[in-house]
Amino acid sequence: MRNELNETRLIDEYLFGQLNEEERRSFDAHLLCNEAFAEKVDRQRSTHRLIRLFARKIQRRRLEAIHRTLLTEPEFAHYIKNIFA
Amino acid sequence: MIEPKEDPIVTLYREAFPHFAQMVRALGGTLEEAKDSFHDALLIYLERERAGKLHVHSTPKAYLLGTAKICWLHMRSKASFSLLPDGFDASEFNDPATDAAMEEREQRVLASLERTGKKCLQLLKAFYYDHLSMDDIAARLGFNGRRSATVQKYKCLGKVRENLKTNLKTKEAYAE
Repeated sequence: MRNELNETRLIDEYLFGQLNEEERRSFDAHLLCNEAFAEKVDRQRSTHRLIRLFARKIQRRRLEAIHRTLLTEPEFAHYIKNIFA
Repeated sequence: MIEPKEDPIVTLYREAFPHFAQMVRALGGTLEEAKDSFHDALLIYLERERAGKLHVHSTPKAYLLGTAKICWLHMRSKASFSLLPDGFDASEFNDPATDAAMEEREQRVLASLERTGKKCLQLLKAFYYDHLSMDDIAARLGFNGRRSATVQKYKCLGKVRENLKTNLKTKEAYAE
């Protein structure tokens, strides 16, 4: 389990450019020689895309809520309505 | 009694959106388009701010209006691309169908994760997207200190990664 966690951490450090030159070279070599490991790295990259997707979904909901709330303010609503009248 | 301070994003929204809506209207756009592009720009603004990469040279409002205009023009050019006449050679561009399939797949995986691993997603979001410190995360999410939160973060990352593996395999099986 500990090894698995260390590997996950190492992949993260690679993806975020935090490895030193020697570590990165050794990581790149491992990537070339081990297809299963390369797939794991790809999936961890995709995991980060998914985290961003999740976070943006929450942010968009928050922005929609702000928009709806502002439209309950008479001055704001009147102004917007007039623009698109 | 002291009034609670308003969220600065609400204040910025109230000040900037009417100006942007006016700009979009003058360029022939709709309210829905104005809102969508404005939200895209606000997302960029918030993400850069949290990552410490927001460099505002004039005012936050001017920065936001400039970004929103770029987002709107980008959205418009994508829309016109999808309306190109038959026979137009579009091979040099990304295939919108492939992009859509990818997005659909990601949305499906995300929906499954939101049902089974929401706590993990919240922890990962707090660290990677909100850029909170591990001490902050430990306090907010109830871990016994930063060390415990850090271990859990890597466990969660591995868990989501393996979930992705299972989901992709299922998807490939469907495609066969």
